[in-house]
Amino acid sequence: MNTKKRLLALISLPSVWLLVFFIIPFSMMALFSFRDNSFGPLFPPTLKHYQAFFASKNYLRMLAESSWIAFLTALISILLAYPLAYFLIFRGGKHRLMLLSLLIIPAWTSYLLRILAWKVMLGSGGIINSILIQFGWISERIPLILYSRSAVIITLVYIWIPYAALPIFSSLERIEPHLFDASSDLGANPWRTFFNVTLPLSIPGIAAAFFFVFIPTLGEWVTPALVGGVDGIMYGNLIQNQFLRGLNWPLGIVMSLVLMVIVSIFTILLYRFISIRDMSSIA
Amino acid sequence: MKMKYVQKVVLFCLITVLISGCSPKGQGPVLLEWSGYEQESFWEPYKEQHPDALPVFSFFADDSEGFAKAKSGFAFDLVHPCSSWWKLYVDHGLVQPIDTSRITHLDTFYPDMLAMGQFNGQQYFLPWEWGYESILVRTDLAPDIPESWADLWDPQYSGHISMYDASEAAYLISGMSLGIDPYNATPAEQEQIKQHLIDLKPALLNYWLDYTEIIQLVAQGDVWLASHAWNDAYGVLLEEGYEVEFINPTEGRLSWICGFGIGANETNLDLAYDYLNAVTAPQSMANMGNEFYYGVASQQATDLLDPFVVEILDLEDPAVLENTFFYQPLSEELRTTIEAIWSDVKASN
Repeated sequence: MNTKKRLLALISLPSVWLLVFFIIPFSMMALFSFRDNSFGPLFPPTLKHYQAFFASKNYLRMLAESSWIAFLTALISILLAYPLAYFLIFRGGKHRLMLLSLLIIPAWTSYLLRILAWKVMLGSGGIINSILIQFGWISERIPLILYSRSAVIITLVYIWIPYAALPIFSSLERIEPHLFDASSDLGANPWRTFFNVTLPLSIPGIAAAFFFVFIPTLGEWVTPALVGGVDGIMYGNLIQNQFLRGLNWPLGIVMSLVLMVIVSIFTILLYRFISIRDMSSIA
Repeated sequence: MKMKYVQKVVLFCLITVLISGCSPKGQGPVLLEWSGYEQESFWEPYKEQHPDALPVFSFFADDSEGFAKAKSGFAFDLVHPCSSWWKLYVDHGLVQPIDTSRITHLDTFYPDMLAMGQFNGQQYFLPWEWGYESILVRTDLAPDIPESWADLWDPQYSGHISMYDASEAAYLISGMSLGIDPYNATPAEQEQIKQHLIDLKPALLNYWLDYTEIIQLVAQGDVWLASHAWNDAYGVLLEEGYEVEFINPTEGRLSWICGFGIGANETNLDLAYDYLNAVTAPQSMANMGNEFYYGVASQQATDLLDPFVVEILDLEDPAVLENTFFYQPLSEELRTTIEAIWSDVKASN
């Protein structure tokens, strides 16, 4: 048996898996978007859910706002994760892997548990309010930090920092140490070395981190549902509404498809910035 | 030879997947049920009768989830939805008429509640538990005690109101506070109902999702007015010593009621009826009422409730149920309209 055949045999199982459990159900979903209601027949197909989606300015506005929240979350996560990864690589020494594990361990606990922990911190009876009162900065407890868009971003940034740090960590790790020696031999100070050598070489890691955070955040719904209040509602909550309580699956599918198109555009952009080879060695 | 090896691997994986997808199944009836209702004290007589055929519970967290599960072909013997969904189950042919001659405690049910489970002249659902939805007030924090649903729109409570994330209740409250009959609203009136809900948004702290959340919010003092909270939340807060009141709005409290129906393709009717008779026995109903602070569907069960539960349900007053506003069965069309309104309200700025 030649290599080609063996390769074919190896990829056949995952391909069948993808076909049966992803591509076929997904195509069925896409078809269902043309159904009149969640349980009706497919024929005659209707475009009314697409019309309803684009007729309502609210859905598109909500999508734009959610993109903005996802962008801010990704940006802040990277700004906070970069120094962390930098420290681990250049100051962590032989403990860097242990320190990295320490960073990742909280991510093993339940996602919900970590969000609920933020409710305890941000709530009016919570730690942050207690500190503010202790220092006399506010006179009475305010629930405002919780149930707002800021609460959503704060919580999401916390959740995503380890995930943003990982690709940056890998890209920094791959930088040839001799480059730093060469840079200082040529008279560059540490700042110049950072901006001319370290930062440019870690851009693939930054880009990967950005999309690792941005893409899942765009469809996020658990966090806004728990800490978002009335202003913090995101596009994902509207989709969830259609599928669960609303029982309007066709409209939910239309909304999901629009989200998917947008995510695909961003993914294509991602691949234009960094080659697949870079990505695979990082992720 | 090597291809055979690969084939074996493929076969092994497929079998593993198929086996892991199946779970051991009991002999007893399959219940499509709210989580939390599987407690044995709610169906003890059945256990004594059939210790070898215990019920199998499949849970839903929401009526729409339960309906979707039933509609997509999940085989169940008994289902436990709430009244506004009953008609949809009947219309979609998911339940069969109940042979009332086989119901032991039939004459103990409140006749009005029993009648809600009748469609096309037949009994499709047996009512089981009910409760109020009203405004739960922190009397020590709120400047005034609201008297009607319309008071939610009073600016003095702004920022301290939490509303249940439930489309139907929100629609009903908005309609009632505008003096519109929500079940017979014209499209223009529905638009008014929607706008009224959008107007309320800036005054809301959040939309609450489950009852532990609203209990915490009221206990912490962030929320002074919990809109369409349930009497169980009221009971818990009272027991913990908070100064709370569960008002009786001039438009009437909302009331929900849920009950059991038999699946259309039921194969073991005998077990299903035995379970129904066990769960509707007055003592079983009362065990549930005392556990959740809910009302029960029969007078005999009510007589077995703890005095505390009777008190928080205001059941000393026999006329109390006449002044409440029971959820009515929704047509598919109205349900779709209400969902569209709610989705627009949540997405609006």
